[in-house]
Amino acid sequence: MALLTADKRVLHADLQGDRIRAASGSMVAVEGTVEFKSSGMGGGGGMRAALKRAVAGESLSLMDCTGHGRVYLALDAKDVLVVDLAGDTLTVESEHILAHTEQLRLDVQFAGLRGMTSGQGLATTTVTGHGQVAIVSEGPVMALEVRPGMDLVVDPDAYVGSRGQLSMSMVSGVSWKSLVGEGTGEPFSLRFTGHGLVLVQSSER
Amino acid sequence: MPFDAVNSKVVRARVSPATPVLARRGAMLGYSGQVTFRPVHGQGRGIGGMAGAALSGESTPMMATEGQGEVLYGYKGLHTTLLELDGSAPLVCEADRLLVHDAGLQTSVAFLGSGGIRSAISGAMTGQGLFTTNVHGRGSVALLSHGGAFPLQLNGTQVGVDPQAYVGHVGQLTVDLAAKVGLRDVVGRGSGEAFQLRISGYGTVYVQASEQKF
Repeated sequence: MALLTADKRVLHADLQGDRIRAASGSMVAVEGTVEFKSSGMGGGGGMRAALKRAVAGESLSLMDCTGHGRVYLALDAKDVLVVDLAGDTLTVESEHILAHTEQLRLDVQFAGLRGMTSGQGLATTTVTGHGQVAIVSEGPVMALEVRPGMDLVVDPDAYVGSRGQLSMSMVSGVSWKSLVGEGTGEPFSLRFTGHGLVLVQSSER
Repeated sequence: MPFDAVNSKVVRARVSPATPVLARRGAMLGYSGQVTFRPVHGQGRGIGGMAGAALSGESTPMMATEGQGEVLYGYKGLHTTLLELDGSAPLVCEADRLLVHDAGLQTSVAFLGSGGIRSAISGAMTGQGLFTTNVHGRGSVALLSHGGAFPLQLNGTQVGVDPQAYVGHVGQLTVDLAAKVGLRDVVGRGSGEAFQLRISGYGTVYVQASEQKF
């Protein structure tokens, strides 16, 4: 079974004859015999996924890495974090996905209004199943806990992903001051309620 | 070792009259003590070296740091990697990756084409140019990389490296370009890994965590 381990800004993927999917062009070095092949338009999810992705504007270009050996993956010196999933769902922006093991399923979820204000398109990607997914972020990721009665508000530009039973809503701080250019620079925020973890990067896109 | 890492991006070099250092011009961040900086041309090999460096395009303006004191070096927030060369094999890298090195080390420009037309093509295809820099001798070197360089030890094994992520290598290694351009790459549906540097032998290869060149 393929194993993903993060080493700061590099992801080590150990393959034993199986397959992982990784962002196209993210390989920096490879030991052993590993084949690289484009996963196609749907990121390996078939025609329906491709269509959905095209409509939602979630661009995701993946390649299949198959074989025996170790692949070193990295993307623009961004920090890497490996998340283990055991049947639950991780919601993450598609541009943050570096690699995932074969057993996981990627799907597109429409996010509505939130996506428009954060400039990330109308949809986010959900990752479901048993396995590992590696995400990249500009600066290390913080995992912030959300519990009932303890809401969390984050900047849409720093939001990377979330897992757990969470519901998301927009908080607007727009007032007449923002309109005359005297705003605080934080016109919109995301409020999370429920139970789970929110991943936030230490940089704003 | 005359160099030590202040953090992942800044190197502190101890300079004395017996051990001057050569650094990328403009990379000095601060110093203490009696230190002077002097521009060096042609990597210290006279007119011939100057002309050679200009011709090959493998030249980064360097400066000599002399005197007695401690100097801090850094460049554009890029990560630095400290290497200790024992003189048994040269360090092969691009000239613009050298941040600072002992003045006792010799640098020379190597023409990739001397390895036959294949290696000349590989240099041209990977955007590395037709020349690389060899650093000979015993001493310390600080290399620049985007995102930090990690070493891969080779003991007669082979490793494939993305040409854009390749930083340099030390040891008895042969570098060959492997191209696997299929129909999918031509129509824009490739995996983005059509070109790989196949490195085999005994030694250490340094790879950076990014595909950005500078």
